[in-house]
This record gives sequence, C-alpha cells and structure tokens, in this order.
Amino acid sequence: MKSQLQARRVSAIWQQGMARRRFLKWGLLGSAGVAAVAAGGFAFLRRSPLDKQAAPAWAQGLSEAEYHLFNRARQVLLPVDGTTLLPSEQVPVVQNVQTLLGHLHPLTRKEVAAGLGLFDNAAVFTLGSRFVDLNDDDARAYFDSWGQGNVIQRTLATVIKQLVYSAYWQDSATWPPTEFDGPVSDKWGLEYLGNAPLPDSVADGEARA
Amino acid sequence: MSEVKWQASGLRVHQASDVTRDHLQLEADVVIVGSGAGGAVSAYELAKRGMKVLVLEAGPYVPSKDFTENFTDSLDTLYQDHGSQSNSDGDLLVLQGACVGGSTVVNGCVCFRTPDFILQDWQRDFGLNELTVDELAPYFDEVEKNLAVHDNGEHEIPRHGRLIRAGANRLGWSVKPLKRNIRQCGLTGHCLSGCKTERKQSMLVTYLPWAAAHGAQIYADTRVEKILTREGKASGVEAIITRHDGTVAATLSVSAPRVILAAGAVQTPLLLLKSGLANRSGQVGRNFACHPSLYVPARYPEPVYPWRGAMLGVYVDEFMHPDKGGFVLEDGGAGLVELTMAAEPGTGKPFMDYMANAKYLAGLVTLIHDHNVGSIEWDGERKKINYQLSDIDFPSMQRALKAAARLHLAAGASEVYVPASDQRVIRSEADIDSQVDSLENQPQHLRMVSYHPQGTCRMGADPDHSVVAANGQSHDVPGLYVADASLLPTSIIVNPQITVYALATRIARHMG
Repeated sequence: MKSQLQARRVSAIWQQGMARRRFLKWGLLGSAGVAAVAAGGFAFLRRSPLDKQAAPAWAQGLSEAEYHLFNRARQVLLPVDGTTLLPSEQVPVVQNVQTLLGHLHPLTRKEVAAGLGLFDNAAVFTLGSRFVDLNDDDARAYFDSWGQGNVIQRTLATVIKQLVYSAYWQDSATWPPTEFDGPVSDKWGLEYLGNAPLPDSVADGEARA
Repeated sequence: MSEVKWQASGLRVHQASDVTRDHLQLEADVVIVGSGAGGAVSAYELAKRGMKVLVLEAGPYVPSKDFTENFTDSLDTLYQDHGSQSNSDGDLLVLQGACVGGSTVVNGCVCFRTPDFILQDWQRDFGLNELTVDELAPYFDEVEKNLAVHDNGEHEIPRHGRLIRAGANRLGWSVKPLKRNIRQCGLTGHCLSGCKTERKQSMLVTYLPWAAAHGAQIYADTRVEKILTREGKASGVEAIITRHDGTVAATLSVSAPRVILAAGAVQTPLLLLKSGLANRSGQVGRNFACHPSLYVPARYPEPVYPWRGAMLGVYVDEFMHPDKGGFVLEDGGAGLVELTMAAEPGTGKPFMDYMANAKYLAGLVTLIHDHNVGSIEWDGERKKINYQLSDIDFPSMQRALKAAARLHLAAGASEVYVPASDQRVIRSEADIDSQVDSLENQPQHLRMVSYHPQGTCRMGADPDHSVVAANGQSHDVPGLYVADASLLPTSIIVNPQITVYALATRIARHMG
C-alpha cells in the first residue's frame, strides 16, 4: 500500500513538473538498455550537504547534482565487501557514465536530466531526504521500491542501474576476478583471413575483361 | 565489361577524411542507400552486370583490424546511435549496425531460410504468389554457398550450447545445431563486436569487396537526406558527408535512374517519410515488428564461461510453428557488460554476487513471432520507434520464458533469472508459473532487445496496402526499390539475414 501511495505521488509530482514547464511529450530512451523521461529540471526539494561540494573538473558533461547522484549510486550499487572484485572507487565509473550520456540526442539528454532530478528528490517524500543523502540500506531499498513501482519509477531505476553497471564492468580492470577473458584474438595470435574469394561463377572466369 | 580487381584484404572506401570539396556531384546507373545485407548484395549483383554502382553508407568504415573485441567500445563505434537506439518506452533496445557492412558486421552469424509456413502466409495474406519455396530455393542455395553457411560442427558448440542441448534432450524437445556464415570460426565469442580476424562472412569481407572488384564505389560517413524524383520516377539522392566529429565535410548529389533503399527497417522508412515518397498506401513506417527477445541467464553448478567459444551453438525448434507456440530458443554467449543488462538479481550485494560468479552463467535467447504492431515516425527533430509488445504477443513471450526456464532447469541450472525490472528468480519447476504469470505487459517490466527490425515498407501485390511489389520496386515511384528487412510483410520468427540476402539477390536479378 505504501509503495502504491508512493507511486501515485511520484506520478503526481511528475505531472506537475510537466505542466509547469509545458513539456507535452514524455519519451523514454535506451542507452545500453537504459531509459528516462521528459524534459525539464526539478528544483531541489531539500538541500543536501553535497550541494556545497563541487564536482570534479572533468565532470563538464554532468550537472553537479548529477555527479553526486551517480557517485552515490556507484557506492550503493557496487559493493565489493567479501568478494575479490575491484572496489568501485578504483574505477572511473562516473566518468564512464558521463561518456555514455554524451552519446545521447540533446533532447533525450534533457529528458534524462529531468528524470535524474526526480529520482533524487522524490525520496524526500517517503524517506525524508534526497537519494544522495540516504544511508546504504535505504538507498538500496529505494532502488528496489522503484523497480516495482510505476513505469516512471521502473524506468529511472533501470536507467541509473544500467548506466552504473555498464560504466563499472566495461573497465578491463574489473575483469580478472571473474576470469572474463576480454579481447582474445591478438592474445591467441589468430590469423587474419582477409576477404572471401569471389564466388565460383566469377572465379571460374565469368566475364573477366 | 571492365576488369575485375578483387583485393585480398580491406576495402576501398571513400570517407569524409578524403573529401576536398564542399560539394560532390556524381552520376551512376544505380545508387544504393546502405551497405548491409541488402545493399551489399544488390551492389555486387548489379556491378557484376556492368552497371555503375554507388553505395552510400551513413556509418563509418571500420576495418576489421580496428575491432577491439570490447562490447562497450563496439556499441560506440559500430552500432546505430552508439548502441542507444531504443523504442519510445525505452524498454526495448533496437541494436543495428551503423558502419560499412551494417548489421552483418555485428550479428551472431545465425542463418535460417524463411520458414515455409511464413512464405505461405505471405502468399495468402499479401498476394506474394511468386515467393514460393521452390522459387526462392536457388537464391538461398547461392547465398549460403557464397557465405560459407554450414551447420555448426561439434567444436563450434560451446559449453553453454552443450548444456542446453542436453537439457532439451532430457525434455524430449527438438534441438539442432545452428547454421552460421563463418569460415574457420576462431571461437572468440566476440561476434557482437565484429569479427576481428575476418572469419564471420559479413558483407565487409564478402559482397562489398566483390562489388568493389566489379567497380562499385563505396562512400562511408554519407547520410542520404532525400530521395529525388523527376517526372514521378526516381532520379537520385541528396546526402551529407559528415566527419567523425560531427561537422559537415561536404554535400553530395547523385543522379541515378535507380535508387535502392537498404538502410534497414528503421532508417529506410524514415528516408521515405522525409522525402514524402512512395506512401500512397499509408504503410510506410507502419507494421514494424522486431522479434523482441529476452536473454534469460541461469546459474549452473559448474563453470560455464559464457563468453568462451562460439557465441551461438544450438537452437530449440520444438515450438517454432505458431500452432506450437511461435517461438525459438537459442543458446547465447555473453560478456560481462551484456550480462549486466540481462537480469535483476537484486540491488547491491545480490547483483555483485551474480556478477562475481558470472562464469557459472549460461544464457538462452528467446525469439518470438511478433505481430506487426509498431511504427517508425519522424517528429521533425528525431525518430521515434513506437513499439510495445502487444497483448496478443505477450502470452507468446511468457510461453517462451517458461520454456527457457524449464530448459535451464532440465540442463541442471540452480537459478534462472527472469529478465524483468524487479527481482525474480526461478529455482524449481514449481516457481515457473508464479514468477512468469505475474509479469505484466507494461512498459519497462521486461528487458527486451531486438536485433531484427523489419516490416516497415512491406511487400505486397496490392498497392493500396503495401509499399513495394515482390520485385522490390515501389508501387508509386518507378525506379525506387527497397531491398532490406523493411520488405518483410510479417515477422519471420528466425534470424532474417539469409532472407534479406536471398530477396536482395532476387530483386537485383529482376531489375531492368
């Protein structure tokens, strides 16, 4: 019941945001299996201590709020305690997310920005603080509840997870603990076969000049 | 007939970096838009006949030696929209190649002829009486021979394929080795990133170099923006040549009495819609189907290493006929990034445990015979792929998912991960119905991928209900042809590359 209430509330906030900005469309997109929602941005519903921390200089393709959101998502989505996996702080996860987002159509990128703002802020209603300020357990529970929520919530939870997962696992430094082989052709010394010979009809001498 | 100049490796391609003028004006007997399955075959067939052929490819030319065998890099460099092309709801990734050679460069090499019952549907429902099994057989024979299509040998069936085959045998289900177009497979498992050592018989190493040997000219980085007509007949195209940094290098005009569209089932209708052509029927861009597929991973007690060996080994055809379910299951290899996209084992530790134990995973790909319920639109700023799994097809998807789970369990899997937005794990037969029946046909509930967009410029005998005739020519614009998967009036259940090769060969041979 609580999750249904939350889902209705998120939808209402979204509709208010849409109406206020006269954004009539709400599209969803995919990037490595990801998606997001309509254009615009959301003012912060509650300030976070992180708002005073500047994003790194390399993060020109992200807003400061986006940087903090993905950095927090990295921490809660990629725990390695008790495994031999590489700690996520040793992988340029947020930089890779930035690169992935940079491939998007400008309109789609705006939609993603709006969706990320919604994800961060909507936690205020149910958990009393923005996503970036939730403790690890609450942050993971927040992802899980959105994964079972309405279409907007499922979309955004999937977007953020897929971006962060792809950004971590694309880095070759993360592969050895899993025994993933990565590129092998050069390592194995496979011979290049080149182009296939012309089909028989021509190779046999059809109409050569 | 000019001299045939076949080269043993590489391809002569005009690229944006070669351009020295602001505008190019070219003439040809035929201009082909797209260099994938339909475009490359058309180019070879027509160049071999002595025609002056130009092939215009929007994507870059990436030689095989530059393939990285890194899926994320490959999405960026070889795929449409850097791998981010999706439907409007964002829950269906539509993966298409966007490079010289098109999707043939990045596909899994799987080859099926068009099923007989599909051809019968086309004859009955679309008046395509010419497209019989007997009529098409010689074309299939020829392209299969040209592309080294063969049943996977035992060494080409990877560990995940052997597990699936054993499971199917236990269930008494029909299971067969897949046919693939490959020579001396290197068993790298990197098909989706392009075949670095040129074993996959993609258009990049077959029909395109053969077309070039007969004088066809290939232009990369060249996006056709408009089809031109004169007195109601096709007369050429206008295009833009774009550098890899996105800046325009030049404009290009081609004057040609024949225009063949082979840009794929998303781009071809967009071009027609933008050009305002060939749409008397109102069917351009409609009837989109795509074989929405799920990758269903499962955990096994012993290491499988799903990234090792040939990417695809066997398939289960027990349920292929629509009367038996209308779906196919194929065993499928995957690397780490692909595995992250497949399942939702839980947030945080459950997900990292799933990935830490990725070597124990094996996957099944489901392909369903979906109805042509989608559409492609241009909204003035960007394309829209309007497709949501229909309520008619959702039960097929559920049946395919249940069969995949049952097969994994029979093969010895301990956990089957349902590719949904919420956490669903099947550990026994008793879990299957509850985990699958409770899925809802809502956006973003299933994680679907399509490699087979089709149907958006469908063939048919009736000009009021189809875009082109069985010979590929527009009902409305003489000299304008379609030769890609846009043609297919229904989805064909199976991987469509061989169907496109055969139809493109036939279209070229019938072209005046």
